[in-house]
Amino acid sequence: MITKRFSLQFIFALSISIFSIYLVFFLNPDGAIRILLNLVTFAGIYGLSAIGLNVHFGWTGLLNFGHASFMGVGAYVTLLLMPHAAGREGVVVTTGLPFFVALIIGILAAALFGLLLGLPAIRLRGDYLAIVTIAAAEIFRLLVRDLESITGGVYGIINYTENFQKYRPSFIDELSDNLGFSASQGWVCLAAWISIFFTVLFLKRLSKSPWGRALRAVREDEDAVRAMGKNAVWLKLQSFMLGAGIAGLSGVLLAFNYGSLESTVFIPLLTFYVWAIMILGGVGTITGPIFGSIIFWVIISETDRLAYLLFENANGQQLAGVRFLLVGVLIMFLMIFRPSGLLGKKEELLLDVK
Amino acid sequence: MLNNLISVKNLKKSFGGITAVDIKELSFIEGELTSVIGPNGAGKTTFFDLISGFQNADSGDIFLKEKNISNSQPYKIARMGMVRTFQLTKVFDRMTVMENLLFSGSDVNNDSFLRSILKLNSQKVYENSLKDKANEIMNDLNIGHMADSYARELSGGQKKLLELARAIINEPEILLLDEPLAGVNPKLAEDILSLIKKLSEDGITIVMVEHNIEAVMKISERVVVLAEGSLIADGSPNEIRTNKNVIEAYLGKDDE
Amino acid sequence: MLDQLGNGLLLGIIISVASVALSLLYGVTRIVNFAHGEIIALGAIATLFFSSPLDYRVLFLEKFSPLGLNFAISCFLAILVCGLFGGLLEVFLFRPLRKNDVGNIAVLVVTIGLSILVRHLYLLFATGRVQNFPLELQRRQTYLFFDMTPRNFNVLIAGIIVMIIVGLLLTYTRLGKAMRAVRDSEELSSVSGINSDNIILLTWVASSMLAGLAGIFQATINDVRWNMGFLILLLIFAGTVLGGIGTSFGAMVGGFMIGILVQVSVGLPFMEGHAEAKNAVALAVMILILLFRPQGIFGQKERIS
Repeated sequence: MITKRFSLQFIFALSISIFSIYLVFFLNPDGAIRILLNLVTFAGIYGLSAIGLNVHFGWTGLLNFGHASFMGVGAYVTLLLMPHAAGREGVVVTTGLPFFVALIIGILAAALFGLLLGLPAIRLRGDYLAIVTIAAAEIFRLLVRDLESITGGVYGIINYTENFQKYRPSFIDELSDNLGFSASQGWVCLAAWISIFFTVLFLKRLSKSPWGRALRAVREDEDAVRAMGKNAVWLKLQSFMLGAGIAGLSGVLLAFNYGSLESTVFIPLLTFYVWAIMILGGVGTITGPIFGSIIFWVIISETDRLAYLLFENANGQQLAGVRFLLVGVLIMFLMIFRPSGLLGKKEELLLDVK
Repeated sequence: MLNNLISVKNLKKSFGGITAVDIKELSFIEGELTSVIGPNGAGKTTFFDLISGFQNADSGDIFLKEKNISNSQPYKIARMGMVRTFQLTKVFDRMTVMENLLFSGSDVNNDSFLRSILKLNSQKVYENSLKDKANEIMNDLNIGHMADSYARELSGGQKKLLELARAIINEPEILLLDEPLAGVNPKLAEDILSLIKKLSEDGITIVMVEHNIEAVMKISERVVVLAEGSLIADGSPNEIRTNKNVIEAYLGKDDE
Repeated sequence: MLDQLGNGLLLGIIISVASVALSLLYGVTRIVNFAHGEIIALGAIATLFFSSPLDYRVLFLEKFSPLGLNFAISCFLAILVCGLFGGLLEVFLFRPLRKNDVGNIAVLVVTIGLSILVRHLYLLFATGRVQNFPLELQRRQTYLFFDMTPRNFNVLIAGIIVMIIVGLLLTYTRLGKAMRAVRDSEELSSVSGINSDNIILLTWVASSMLAGLAGIFQATINDVRWNMGFLILLLIFAGTVLGGIGTSFGAMVGGFMIGILVQVSVGLPFMEGHAEAKNAVALAVMILILLFRPQGIFGQKERIS
């Protein structure tokens, strides 16, 4: 029964996603490929981040509202370890680690940051944890902005994409010549979806394992977990680290997609985006955020049309405003009317998490 | 004293000036089925929380198998072989009954992240033996047909049974039962009582908090009475029945 | 240093008033209201709308024309608007959610969505750029030790008076007692004849009015921005958590401490040249305090059983 309904949901989510992508072609007769690539890249990166968040909230019941900082730690550590230029004067650092080494250290750093943040926060009750994580993320962002000599502050980091683009397979260049999209974004997009593929495989393996089961038990009732002789705090910390590591990877990809990185990328709104995607896709599911992310980004990228309906001469700020507004509406309505999202199981609804 | 599995000395706990528990000395003996009774607010559940580590005492010592566990974490205490249940049933709602049991019975090493990635054959073997064990216990407790249902779909009584099953699969030496009969229909209460009795006969030391005095008197080997946090009587069911202090403590309470 | 202390007192009073409002709401409804900041901004924006001169066109889209009312009356009306907004939120959003047994966490996420929605409505329809109340510029004067404009000094005095009144109301009025009863147990109070729906409604209204007042204070001292509420929301959380969430008096003190901490930290030696990070210090202090006292400075440990 359950599996049958589940697969129906899956087909439903898949068709909506495909329809959304079709919509992009329909709405943008010119340059659809370019728009689509941009959209699919963002969808991949944010979807990956939402998969990480789902380990926290969906699996373990942890109210993490500091997800942006995990992405940020991953991105900054990775970029700063490689050749780059930073700050107002563009101080150039020519030496550094190769991309893959830096990436692994970046991911580990994000996981470590998760542990560091988790140690004080994890004993707190749900809503306190929400406040502490969002506060910690803000501390991180303010520090990054302020430590201009290292992170480039508001001027950001540039000239780092080559570290990654030099591994770009040649078929992407050929495709980009034919179809007229940016080759470098194509490579980021491919990398994002490869990352999603392996992360999903990895998590599928874990979710039905005794470890995944233990996390779900923590989500359900911590006291009972303790009474069974299991260290709930350690389980939560592990979950925090895993989700943070995945977020770190997505942060790195985000940095390569932007081509330059500065601290405003990691404002709390980024976290809320990821939350919206997770809820849309289905809290507690593994593949849900992928579909959630695609649909979310189609909505986001097509809202400028909506903005033109609302305002005769919409400017950039208003376009962005309508987008964010829609994210707010989406979060509210989903939480009220369909908290299980596209793929979530009604029986595993997380409505009454304490 | 011999065979004192659990003993407490000068245990004190108060909430905002109100004494919840104040016990000079109390021990539970290996293999015995002891009930802790007392009027509402006598501090029974707080006492349980203290010895199982869910709350920290203001002062005093708690010994489990002669080890001082006064400030130990609940999970460490549970690993020493003392497992508790809760007054308000705490089952893992959005997990199946089977998963509830597998998690509870699973060894801590089996839960480890690394093993769960590697998925060695030994883990599969272990999980399968755990499943057999879980099935056996579920059948004993008449919840076998619910194995694949989510725990939230169980009735109140079935949840109590699941909690018991979860405790049993843990193979405890000591079982702390917090009102195992609360909110359970009389027929099921009979079943649970005989189950508790059987567990006791199997050699598990049981300490139980229960409001149903009749049931307590029927199966307990020893009854401990708390009132306003203090120990007022301790003896066999027959001794307690006639104890002046106990009658006094319950006076004016007709529902007991 | 004294200047910073003066600024700290001013920020402290804003955060303090807003924290009490947040804490009151949490105490009665268990809702961590992320949209609190938007109610704060509403107080400022409504005041701006009521008080700006009629020909003042920069602020709103052509459709809305400011009313040009007296400033004090504008503030009064704005606070009423906030109360009304809070009441409407309760009746049309949070009460239905409560009746459907929607869990606290889901409600928390709903308030986040609400916050994003309302904040960007402000951006789109009210004020895209930084605005100021139509008040004359004032020269700083010395009050006791502090250099402040008379207006800021008035905010300080008004804030302190409001806090005293709120404290008295909570302690001595039937309503205040009832609010505390609901906080202790919704079931208990509905059994003992207190209509908890009405109490919760009144709490929403009172909390929102206080938040609106905090917004007016903030805008008087600084300016009106569409995201002004969100910018200090975390400091308000910090104040509330520091004092002990759900405790009104704790939140008062906690809010003051955070305000002073933020401004004074600018003067700390290691903060030289890092004034932008002053909020980070306050937030870090909050996290540290939670490490040692999860229930906050004045909060009581909840009984587990």
